[in-house]
Parts: sequence; structure tokens; C-alpha cells
Amino acid sequence: MRKFLAVVRHEYRKIVMKWTFLIGTLLFPIIGIGFAVVPALLFSLKGEPTRIVVVDPSGRIEPRLRSNLSAESIEAKIREAAKNSSVDITASQEEQLKKGAGQLATGFVFIDHDTGGKTDDDIRRDLNARAAANEIDGYLMIPADITQPNVRYEFRSRKAGDFIANDTLEDALNAAVRSERLAASNIDETMLKGLSRNVQLQTLSLSETGEEKDSGMLYLASLVIGMMIYITLTIYGQVIMGAVVEEKETRIAEILFSSATPFQLMFGKLVGVALAGLTQLSIWVGSIAALMAFLASQSDGAQLLAALPNITPLMLVYFFIFFLVGYFIYASIFALIGSMVTTVQEGGQFAFPPIMIMLIGFYFCFAVIRDPNSSLSFWVSIAPLFAPMTMPVRILAEMPPFWQIALSIFLNCIAIAGLVWLAGRVYRVGMLMYGKRATIPEVWKWIRQA
Amino acid sequence: MSLKDATLMVENVSKRFGDFAAVEDLSFEVLPGRVFGFLGPNGAGKTTTIRMIVGITAPDDGKIELFGERMSPDLQDRIGYLPEERGLYKKMKIVDQLSYFAALKGVSRSKAGERIDFWLDRMNLKEWKSKKTTDLSKGMQQKIQFISTVIHDPDLLILDEPFSGLDPINVEFMIDVLSELKARNKTIIFSTHLMETAERLCNDILLINKGRKVVAGSLREIKESYGHNLIALRCTGGDEVLGDRSIVVKVTEHADEKEVELADGVDAQILLRRLVDSGAVINKFEAVEPSLNDIFIEQIGGQK
Repeated sequence: MRKFLAVVRHEYRKIVMKWTFLIGTLLFPIIGIGFAVVPALLFSLKGEPTRIVVVDPSGRIEPRLRSNLSAESIEAKIREAAKNSSVDITASQEEQLKKGAGQLATGFVFIDHDTGGKTDDDIRRDLNARAAANEIDGYLMIPADITQPNVRYEFRSRKAGDFIANDTLEDALNAAVRSERLAASNIDETMLKGLSRNVQLQTLSLSETGEEKDSGMLYLASLVIGMMIYITLTIYGQVIMGAVVEEKETRIAEILFSSATPFQLMFGKLVGVALAGLTQLSIWVGSIAALMAFLASQSDGAQLLAALPNITPLMLVYFFIFFLVGYFIYASIFALIGSMVTTVQEGGQFAFPPIMIMLIGFYFCFAVIRDPNSSLSFWVSIAPLFAPMTMPVRILAEMPPFWQIALSIFLNCIAIAGLVWLAGRVYRVGMLMYGKRATIPEVWKWIRQA
Repeated sequence: MSLKDATLMVENVSKRFGDFAAVEDLSFEVLPGRVFGFLGPNGAGKTTTIRMIVGITAPDDGKIELFGERMSPDLQDRIGYLPEERGLYKKMKIVDQLSYFAALKGVSRSKAGERIDFWLDRMNLKEWKSKKTTDLSKGMQQKIQFISTVIHDPDLLILDEPFSGLDPINVEFMIDVLSELKARNKTIIFSTHLMETAERLCNDILLINKGRKVVAGSLREIKESYGHNLIALRCTGGDEVLGDRSIVVKVTEHADEKEVELADGVDAQILLRRLVDSGAVINKFEAVEPSLNDIFIEQIGGQK
């Protein structure tokens, strides 16, 4: 037992005391926060307003365009969009909305320019000169007769890359021209809007208890869970393989085998790496929880949290169990591969089959999310090798009966026992075979003889 | 000394891999406080035998007893094994590696710390304590590996080619270290291809080939049993004695002396007396022992 603990401690320290672990562990939350915060920060940075000249010979579009680009109408438009996506607007969001609208509206400054009955080409030349003199940033040429079907609107800008300003301008121009056309055809605009409004379809999944869940968020959360399990299993499986190959490659194995039993060494390695993995996971889960708590304290974050599927402590316990089950299944497969091959590179090629199996399990998650009660979902969520990915997703989508979870855990534990036994036999022989990679018949012989 | 006191007793041990018999019916014992040379050509079954002794594999037949007990995982802690194929963790500090090996041998952490300091000091590698393996030269790595073999103060040391990769100065240094261990009544099993080193260090010899015992016994006895009919001779006169084919089979002239091969059953003393009687002036008369190298080649060369 003391030797077993020594192996566990050694493997744990070997991973955790490295810079790469520290960086990898801290980087994940930092990148996560970065993705959430940095874009919002960047977009809130106010650019210089775009100074434009509107050349409108008819004089009918420009006033409408100006009013469409005013702070009030932009705010109204955003409010409309928000309403369509069926999100209730809270007080603090109201604030933000006003602020955002104001920013977009102040994004344009209208400059007057006297065209003085010149030709379009002359006007362009004049305005180009003004742009070159940095008096204006761009100009919009509106055709004289907008009722013609194929007339061209022209926007020339020194800041053509500012896609937000361009989009805003295009939207406002479209709206202005449409209103003008409607007015010209004697159609009441507000009436038309009311008539052509979209229906609101809200998708909710019904569980057997009749409880409602938001399916969009459910899909996302299931995907995140499935992905996290898949990624951690892949990474730590490879860590195990690397550690096994290192001891074989550097010929340390023989010294180790003369000091402790192969089972102590292999199982100690599995447990040590598992603890390192759990350390990392708990830092991540902790930082996610902290972020959640932070969001909950913000009034607009609480909104988002309420939409998340309800994760109970029991679910977390199940997730933890299935993560461990999955880890021990795949880690022993990777340990087995590690003791067959001679170099890490060679191991990389042989790691393909288990990674493929994990990937298939991950893909089954989609089927499980779509129909957690189908017979396919039942079978893949109790099948050894697949269950560690599919069962947590199924639990999240809809809690299956307890006997199914118990059966799944039981079957997978049998698989673990078998795989650890198998890996142990290959390990004790394979680790002392230097020079060449073992063939499958050879490995079979080791398993029978060991 | 009775067999009961033997540090190691190997009795009728066999090990097969499929159809291939790596070790067959091998028996020998190693006595405490002795340096035991375990010799044989490549593929003779040395590594297989050693692995059975240290408990990495189990024999198919026969039994192995260490310190009078049947081999068990607990006994592993009393053996220090330096395999021929050996290495260190590449990116790990020397002190951490040695602590790990010590912990695997059941040494407490505080004791391990003391011993690591002692041995690093003894090996003149003190300032490398916190360095990584990749910073060390090959010779230094060999010394670190040696420390990992003795860190738990084992009673039996099994060293497989311990001097490979060391320069002559370091070989002498290591021989000194081994002598110290021997003086502390440690038993050393020493496996090597270097016959000269074996000849210098070993009290007892076991030569195996194709998994079987070829020659065994104390170095003294073995040499005596092989070396009774060669005489190194430097003298003037006595030519007719040397020409007498009833006592001398062959005379080989060397630069300043002759090598005389005696006929079967002729004692060296008879030749000496005849030479003195013939009035020859003798400057050197020495019964030549064959080197371990000669014995090795004679025994293995013919069988190969």
C-alpha cells in the first residue's frame, strides 16, 4: 500500500508540478473570460463618428434617412428585435439599450453640401476633393428617380471597412426607401407591419413529470458536458500513454519492476493521473461556479442563468461517477497501448482506435439529446465504452429510471475490471520487451502466459 | 559455510519462453560478503536468471531462496538491482527521482533525504542535486543510477554491467565504492563481459551458456584447475631437458622468455628439479594461470 501511494504521489506530482499544467489550467478560465468580456469591451469602444454627405436630388429620402438614424428610432428597432426573440427586458438592460442606440446614432454626422445643379460626375469630383481634404468621410448618392426598378445607390466612404456603420446605414436607407415607396403607393406603413408580423414559436421539451425545459439551452448544455468528458478523457488517456511509454523508452521499467508489483505500478499511475485530472477539473468547475455566482449577482446575468437546465446535486454526483468510469476504461486502454509500443510517436498512431470509439460515443450524444427515451439512447447509455459520454447527456436531457443508471455503472465497472486485468498482463510483459513494437498475436501470447 | 547461511540459493531453476529454454536446471549459491561474478555470453540466460532472482518473473520450475526465505515482494526491498538496460526520468530533478526510487523500496522520506545527500556527496555530484537528467553527462547518469540501486542500503546488490559508459578513472572510483560496500559485508552479484574486471573483483565465478552452468567455484579453484600445465620460464642452458618430449610437450619462444607446456601428469616440480640438476641458470620459473578470458573462450568458444 505504501508503495502504491508512492506511485500515486509520484505520478500526481509529475503532472501537477509542471509549468504546462499550471498554464493549461489557468488558461482555460482566462480564455473563457476573454471570450465573454473582450468582444463586449471592444464593441463598446466608441469610434469617431462618420461624417457623410447625402446627395438626394428628389429631397424625399434624406429626411427619412436622418430620422431613421436618430437615437430614438434605433432604440425602438433594437427593442423590437429583442421582443421578437422573446426576452423580457429588465431595467438595467433598458439602460444598456439606450446607451447602445445612442452610440450607433452618434455614429453619423450629416454634413450639408451645396450641389448647385451640377452633374453627378462634378458632384462626385467635388466630394472626392472634400474627402481628400478630410472634411468628410463619405457620401451617399441617391438616384433622382427612386421609382425606377434598377436604379443604383452609391455609398463612397474612406471608412468602407467599418461594417457596423455600413450595416446601420444600409438598414436605415432600406427603411427610408421602403417607407417612401409605401407612401407613394398609399399603403399605411404601421398597418403593413402589424399584418406581416412573425408568429412566435417557443420550443419546450416535456419530461415525464411534465416539467418544462428550454430545449435550446438544453442542447447547448448537453453538448458542453459531452464535449468536456470527451476532451478530458482524450487528454488524460494520452498522458497515461505518454507516462507508460516514457518508462519503457528510458528503461526505468526494469528498476520499477524490481521494486514494486506491476499492478501497484500501473494502478498507481492510473490513480495518480486521475487525481491530477480531478485537480484540473475542480479548478475549472470552481471557476465556472464563481462566474455563475458573479453573473447571478448581476441583474442581467440572472436572466441567462434562469434559462439554463436545472442541474441538481444528484446529477453532479452521476456526472462525477461516469467521468471516473470513463477515465478508468480509456486510461487502461491507453496504458495497454503504451506498453505495446516503443516510442511516443508510435503510440500516437495506435491511439487512433480508442479515440475513434470515444468520438463515436460523442456523436451518439446528439441522438440521445434528440430522443433521450428511444431504445437507441437506452442501449448506448448502458453500453461499456460509450456510456461515459452518453449517460451524463441522457441524465441532463431527461433523468432515466434509476435501474438503468445502476445497470450502466455496473456493466462499465465490469468492463473496467476486465480492461485493467488485460492491461496489467500486457504491461508486465510488454514493459520489458525492448527494441520492437509488439504484434497483436504476440500481445495475445503475453496475455495468456503472464 | 553451510548452504543455510547463503545470501542467495538457486535450486534447479528453469524458465521457458514458449519452446525456448532460457534457463535450464540451474543451481548455485551466493555466500554473504562475497563478490560473485555471473558471466556468460550474450543470450546465455543471465538477464532471465537475474529477473527471477529480483522477483520480476517467476521460475517455471525450481526454487529461489534469498536470506533463507522463499522469494516474496517484501524481499525485493533488500535487493538493489542495477539492470543492464537502465535509465532515468528525463525531465525530473535528480533529488526527486532518487526520492521516488527510495520510496518504492520502502525507505521513509526523512531517511531517503539523508541518504541522497550522503551518496551525492560520495559520488561528487552534490551540486547536481536539483538539476534534471538531461543536464547530466552519461557518466554522471550512470552514477545516479548506481545511487538509486543502493539508496535503500540493500544487503544484496545485483549489478549488470555497472561500468558501461564510465571512463577508466570513474571505473576505478566505482571499484573503490564497491570495495567499501563489500567491507560492510554486502553481497554483490556482478555480471559483466569484461573478464579483466571480473578477475580483479570477484571471489566466486559462475559461467553459464545456453541456460546451463558451465563453470562454477571460487576464482582461485577455477584457475588452479585450469592452469597446472603452463610454465613461464627464463633461463640459460637446460636445453636438453626442454627437448625431452616425455616431460615437455611444447616450448613457445617469447621475446625474453619461454612458455613451456608440460606433458600430462608431469608436475612442475619435476621440470624445475631437472633444470637445476642440468646446471641451467634460472631467473624466472612461474606456473602460469590461464586468464578468465582464456577460460571463457575455451569453454564457450568450443560450444558456440
